[in-house]
Amino acid sequence: MSENTFKVMKQRNMRRISGLTEPMRIFSQLGIYLFLFLMALIVLFPFYWMVISSLKSLAEYKLSPPTFWPKQVLLSNYADAFTTANLGTLFVNTMYVGLVSTILSLIITVLTAFAFARLEFKGKELLFGALLATMMIPGELFTITNYSTVISFGWLNTFTVLIVPFLVSIFYIYLLRQNFLQIPNELYLAAKVDGTSDFKYLWKVMVPLALPTLISITILKMMGAWNSYIWPRLVANDEAHRMITNGLRNAFTETTGDVNYPVQMAAVALVSLPLFLVFVFLRKYIMSGVSRSGIKG
Amino acid sequence: MVDSKQQWKAWLYLAPAIILLLVFTVWPIINTVSMAFLEGYSGLTKTGGDVSFKLGVGNFTHVVAHPDFQQALLNTCLLCVITVPVSTILALLIAVALNAIKPLRKALQTVFFLPYVTNSIAIGMVFAAMFNVIGSVGTRRQIISSYGIVNDVIMALGGDWVNWINSGSAYWANMLVMVVYIVWNALPFKILVLLGGLQSVNKQYYDAAKVDSTPRWRVLTRITVPLLSPMIAYVVITGFIGGFKEYTSIVGIFGEKMGPVHDPGRLNTMVGMIYDSLERDNQGGASAAALILFGIILIVTMINLYVSKKRVHY
Amino acid sequence: MKKLVSMLLVLAMMLCVFGISVAEETVPAYDGSEVTITFYNTMGSNLTTVLDAYIAEFNALYPNIKVEYTSVGSYDDVRDQISKEIPEGIQPNIAYCYPDHVALYNLAKAVQTLDAYIESDAVITRADGTTEIMGLTDEQKADFIEGYYNEGREFGDGLMYTMPLSKSTEVLYYNKTFFDANNLTVPTTWAELEEVCKKIIEIDPMSIPLGYDSEANWFITMTEQYNTPYTSATAPHFLFDNAENKEFIKMFRDWYQEGYLTTQSLYGTYTSGLFTSTSDIKSYMSIGSSAGATYQRPAKNADGTYPFEVGIATIPQVDAGNKKVISQGPSLCIFKKANPQEVAASWLFVKYLTTTVEFQAEFSMASGYVPVIKSVAGNEIYADFIANADGGNFVSALSAKVCLEQQDAYYTSPAFNGSSTARDQVGALMTKCFTIPDGSDVDALVDAAFADAIAECEYAVGW
Repeated sequence: MSENTFKVMKQRNMRRISGLTEPMRIFSQLGIYLFLFLMALIVLFPFYWMVISSLKSLAEYKLSPPTFWPKQVLLSNYADAFTTANLGTLFVNTMYVGLVSTILSLIITVLTAFAFARLEFKGKELLFGALLATMMIPGELFTITNYSTVISFGWLNTFTVLIVPFLVSIFYIYLLRQNFLQIPNELYLAAKVDGTSDFKYLWKVMVPLALPTLISITILKMMGAWNSYIWPRLVANDEAHRMITNGLRNAFTETTGDVNYPVQMAAVALVSLPLFLVFVFLRKYIMSGVSRSGIKG
Repeated sequence: MVDSKQQWKAWLYLAPAIILLLVFTVWPIINTVSMAFLEGYSGLTKTGGDVSFKLGVGNFTHVVAHPDFQQALLNTCLLCVITVPVSTILALLIAVALNAIKPLRKALQTVFFLPYVTNSIAIGMVFAAMFNVIGSVGTRRQIISSYGIVNDVIMALGGDWVNWINSGSAYWANMLVMVVYIVWNALPFKILVLLGGLQSVNKQYYDAAKVDSTPRWRVLTRITVPLLSPMIAYVVITGFIGGFKEYTSIVGIFGEKMGPVHDPGRLNTMVGMIYDSLERDNQGGASAAALILFGIILIVTMINLYVSKKRVHY
Repeated sequence: MKKLVSMLLVLAMMLCVFGISVAEETVPAYDGSEVTITFYNTMGSNLTTVLDAYIAEFNALYPNIKVEYTSVGSYDDVRDQISKEIPEGIQPNIAYCYPDHVALYNLAKAVQTLDAYIESDAVITRADGTTEIMGLTDEQKADFIEGYYNEGREFGDGLMYTMPLSKSTEVLYYNKTFFDANNLTVPTTWAELEEVCKKIIEIDPMSIPLGYDSEANWFITMTEQYNTPYTSATAPHFLFDNAENKEFIKMFRDWYQEGYLTTQSLYGTYTSGLFTSTSDIKSYMSIGSSAGATYQRPAKNADGTYPFEVGIATIPQVDAGNKKVISQGPSLCIFKKANPQEVAASWLFVKYLTTTVEFQAEFSMASGYVPVIKSVAGNEIYADFIANADGGNFVSALSAKVCLEQQDAYYTSPAFNGSSTARDQVGALMTKCFTIPDGSDVDALVDAAFADAIAECEYAVGW
């Protein structure tokens, strides 16, 4: 059946089907919306809670039973979160670490993914399998040893220590390799015939084609910088290098070692906001990037 | 035949990654293995001058002898076996539903992605509050000041309230709360992957189905699922790996006691065992526990891969 | 003959004295050299302002000692961070600590014992021309509240490892308005408490008369009040499995089942919330940290008054004539360092913080904790603060006042590697036993719970 006859047939049938089942179709669409709204409500509830908690006083926060709407809306929690935490420096530090590590990470990921996707070498499959296996090891284990390593390098309280240990992400390599594999091999062979170098081919053809994935990696990496907590606390917790999540956690610890949760919630909301906006505006790229990792070339 | 020039070039491309991996991934693994076989190894004790750690499998037997070990194993397996299929099916349904609508699709997509950008501390506290029954539950003079919003809904629908997480709560109730929380957490990533997959599926398959006026559920099981099988395999495998590493979500709901107040440790997991040793600066025990966990994940992933090789359609 | 004997005796004594002074480690006095000392704490910004001011004062006396502090997070964060730093030799000079943290650091023998510093009588000239001795004068030693000071020696070897910085305890908060209106007297013993609970339930059947914050504190305090074994700094460590302890647990279990009382984890949320609740279900007494007094005060009405007045008293006792209350809150420990001048400078700073009346007064007022030296009571500003104490706006002062009045009642528990496990376990033990339902074999289940708790403790110190 040719493409054209298929289209014609489709149109004819569509008219017939949709004519016959119009009430059914509306009904099922209604069901779909109902299901989605219900799920959305469940997904949204914890956010609602986060926001109202961020508007309560600590005393009201501790009240039993909890109030579902703050008796007294304390917007000052947001002001507190902003001023006490020295958000400006924290923000700049986090952006710096995020950007530098993203750029370096992208370069390494592209090179490695290219080697695994297009170049031939002994032990390729074995090496790739071994890399994937390391994803299964609990991260806490790496921390102990890496901590002594970076100290012996003299990297304590530097930006280096926040950037270098995490430049290689097996997950991103995997993601990008899958993407590269989808690019038809013919393109590569044609380029070879034209005498294009591997590097030029990678830069001019593969990178542009894989742009959505690269953008996704950028966003995920930035999110990582934004949310990292345990490692920075350990290795770079001085004023000059402190990252945003650490700054926020420290700022709202009470004398007793308790945390002023409402102010912390306000801070969390503030910090989540940029990530949220990034998602809203770059949804398309995140979606296509993440989904591609699942497709086997 | 692979020519040697390309060999050489390939390794050049790989060099930066390999060097970093050797330092920050391979060396820690070697170090972990060596600590696991030094009985009772502790960094602090070593610093104190005591370096007489015997070589042996004592750390492994010590971990296995932990009062919570069997429970932790059971919990970890149960959580995986329940949450992975539930979250995958739910994510699939939501993704298909999102794909079937036009108005509001983008707004709803954003909503379902939200859990991805939130702070786990905050969300854990919220879930605990939703299931928390406040009062003197199960005493002679039972006074209850709040049933929690989940019980409120159940009671509004005519059901009986449930003691979810408080003192005297049942194991199944605890597990159910954990399942809900973990599924909630896992949904956004899975929806993202599956929806992305759906949008790249060739529309012709569906058009053909429309021609045959195939019922919706049949389209789902006969066309959508097979077409999405690589993505489904992917979310299932990563789901299992994540499931076996479960720890923070349980701390989020039950606190560091890892269980309801009358039975601490009831919801302990394998990663919980690692932290248990680390807290006492027993890196030997922590390493042994981690290797045991690694072994389990490896086996499960092998099984997963084997099954998906047979079932996934490319 | 007699003369010879007595002469020999004198000689022997002199030798002994000489021998001791030789055996005692001599510490170098601070010589004015330039050093930087680091200090890990958990202070929020309200306290670092106070700290900053007094670092400046300290630097006026010792301009060459640079103090750098870091707010690390919670107490547990401080412990985790330092225990990772010690093997690398990069631990701070001074840290906020709890006794069990010190026991952990001591695995690496990393904490400096302070006896030699405390006893040092080397004279140091300060920048303003005045002098002081390195160690503590007899007046300074006597000025410390004994229970707080002795906590530094609870490590089984009789040596001093920590200095108290600021402390809190548990106090009984009660609804004074309600107590006055119903002619109830504030209970001083557990027997009186039981009676008061019964009366309160008669008056308000919807109430749970008492809320207790911490099961672990409760258990440990009861072992002190009954003088029954809990733990020991030397092996065998875990001694709490005995008939007397089971007896009081069963008594409290019965009270819990009767609805006389509840605890934070059993009730499902902050007991201070129950105490300050304005709904039908509330408590009229609450036992919690003296540092949290403001959380035990109800929210103001629209007209600026409080719904009820808060009263504060010593917690109920077994024997009102021999009071025992727990002591908690941060101490300071000093870490060993290669440069003895760093350690000497750290000691001077620790001494400055713990013995300076003005700092102790200001820090206490800002934090809600109580000072560790008695002479703070004579400080004008602090005395004024205490004089204004009431059950409303100045509830922290009221709490501080009660703490100061029970100075002799403070006890501390032995600290060893595993003491925090014991603490966790006895807390869990309380809740576990309380929730044993009626109709089951209570005795057998209590026995099993105790045996389990001991087993968990023994497992934890297995390595």
